[in-house]
Amino acid sequence: MKDMTETLLRVDDLRTHFHTFAGTVKAVDGVSFSLAKGEIMGLVGESGGGKSVVGFSILGLIDSPGRIESGQILFDGEDLAKASEDRMHKIRGKEIAMIFQDPMTSLNPLHPIGRQMDEMLRLHTDLDARGRRARCIRMLEDVGISQAEDRLDSYPHQFSGGMRQRVVIAIAMLAEPRLIVADEPTTALDVTIQAQILKLIRRQVREHGASMILVTHDLAVVAEMADHITVLYCGKVVERGPTRQVIDDPRHPYTAGLIASIPDPSDRKHRLDQIPGAVPDIRKLPRGCNFRDRCPRAQALCAEREPDLETQEPGRSAACHFPVEGGGT
Amino acid sequence: MTAMLEVEKLEQKFDVSGGLLDRLSFSGGRILSPRRVVQAVNGVSFDVQQGEVLALVGESGCGKSTVAKTIARIHNPTGGTIRIDGQEVQGLSDRELLPVRSKMQMIFQDPYASLNPRQRVRDIVAEPLLEQTGNRAEARDKTEALLARVGLNAEHAGRYPHQFSGGQRQRIGIARALSVNPRLIIADEPVSALDVSIQAQILNLMMDLRDEFGLAYLFISHDLSVVHHIADRVAVMYLGFMVETAPRDTLFAMPRHPYTRALLSAAPTLDPAKKARQIELTGEVPSALSLPSGCCFRTRCPFAWDRCAAERPALRDTGDGQQVACHLIDEPERDKP
Repeated sequence: MKDMTETLLRVDDLRTHFHTFAGTVKAVDGVSFSLAKGEIMGLVGESGGGKSVVGFSILGLIDSPGRIESGQILFDGEDLAKASEDRMHKIRGKEIAMIFQDPMTSLNPLHPIGRQMDEMLRLHTDLDARGRRARCIRMLEDVGISQAEDRLDSYPHQFSGGMRQRVVIAIAMLAEPRLIVADEPTTALDVTIQAQILKLIRRQVREHGASMILVTHDLAVVAEMADHITVLYCGKVVERGPTRQVIDDPRHPYTAGLIASIPDPSDRKHRLDQIPGAVPDIRKLPRGCNFRDRCPRAQALCAEREPDLETQEPGRSAACHFPVEGGGT
Repeated sequence: MTAMLEVEKLEQKFDVSGGLLDRLSFSGGRILSPRRVVQAVNGVSFDVQQGEVLALVGESGCGKSTVAKTIARIHNPTGGTIRIDGQEVQGLSDRELLPVRSKMQMIFQDPYASLNPRQRVRDIVAEPLLEQTGNRAEARDKTEALLARVGLNAEHAGRYPHQFSGGQRQRIGIARALSVNPRLIIADEPVSALDVSIQAQILNLMMDLRDEFGLAYLFISHDLSVVHHIADRVAVMYLGFMVETAPRDTLFAMPRHPYTRALLSAAPTLDPAKKARQIELTGEVPSALSLPSGCCFRTRCPFAWDRCAAERPALRDTGDGQQVACHLIDEPERDKP
């Protein structure tokens, strides 16, 4: 079925490195994945996994000392890794929109939200002032903000955290982008507000037929939202597959460890399964597999040779010499 | 047996009016200077027995951290009583509090902000004990043993906090809290700043320490799956009020307050198919500067009727150690969508 759908984005062997005085940080080191039209993909991993840098790379938001070293980001056939800054200006907001974790960093505190919404439409559409205003009001109503017309004159600080994130979503959806990169969009929100916002994001994405990359550390959020999961560890993809299959039957020991370390209310144990140790210093990665020092399945081979991302079965792949056998954990 | 911690009708208000000039306003030909008071905690009562883990849950602004800080006497309560191991502590001076602090210690959420960046780890961990006894030799030996117990090694003792990861810093914070042999630990979101794999390590450590030292925890968290794992009993707060308390299994299997039910159904889970879709909330938490009349939750409650605006429901026993503050208990026939 997946072969029949059209690919919107293909990231191929992407390498984004940061050249610091303390050494080169290979934040993204050979990441490949593809995203179909209308698909929601969860990009998960712990802090330092490189998941946010993948999102920033797609939008061309990598600043010095960081640089995309090699690889392709094919968005509808066009390689964004080689696109000029002028071209990226046209793409950002119009074709690809981003939703950040903290709405205060993406809203300008000095301008009313109506003006910030209007800017998006002025840049990317040829609507006249009246048409733009009408579109803004409709969009705010769409994301559940009441008295939308009056609220256009409100400043960001006059909204609560959840309401601000609704405004950010409204701005992101205004120009009807084909791809949305959402970086931890609900991590700063309370759980009842998170539920509202996740529902809103999913509805907006589905209604507009857009695709989304959902960057998050929270596997439970991904389980509720995404069609596919890509798991990153130390800048590399360690596992990829359909959401339900990956969560019910993880192949990479890191994925299995992550899932097992989340307390499960339906199966309470005295001790949680934990992954020993911590994520290694990304400037001094071990030889062979990056996960081997923390891995219960590691053997001599893991120290010698780094495992490639290999297809386990159609649609599923893992980068492990000794993958967890099928049949669940 | 006296409870390790007893809190009765605890109240905490913060005056945020600012100076006189900030307050002045002109209305209807008269100059007014209204006070603005945040009613953070409104008459909360609960207890923690020896060796028990009580989880205090709720969303931001519900007052759970204020309760923790008030019990740890970072704030002085504006009303109510706090008894630690039978001794009333509200109103005690810092000097009078010193012996109480050897029974009660706190672990903080942010492992970056709660350790002095200019102190070495061994000094951080030894400080509470030196404050209590002044015995340097004892403090040094104890520090070594504690660091080993929380999973750090001797060479770590001479390092500074910035040389550690978040999980290791939280271990240092735990070692510091344990240095005076406390019997009650107040833990304010101790794992929410950590990655899940590290979170599991710290939770396991905390539970091992409880078994080993017979510790009681007041565990503040917004994460229900963590609470389900660690708690013996759970207390749910909303807008500074206690809305429900129950033994863990009862609360998760049979939540009775509409807010508890909404909270449980909103939490994302790995298996959404298994989840009970019970109550979905709309709207947001009202401001603690102007509390709603009657029930604190009525502005978002799908069941609210006129009685809820007129009369504030009291926390009442409903059997099996469960207590609920909701008028639905009297009128169960209204409990339908």
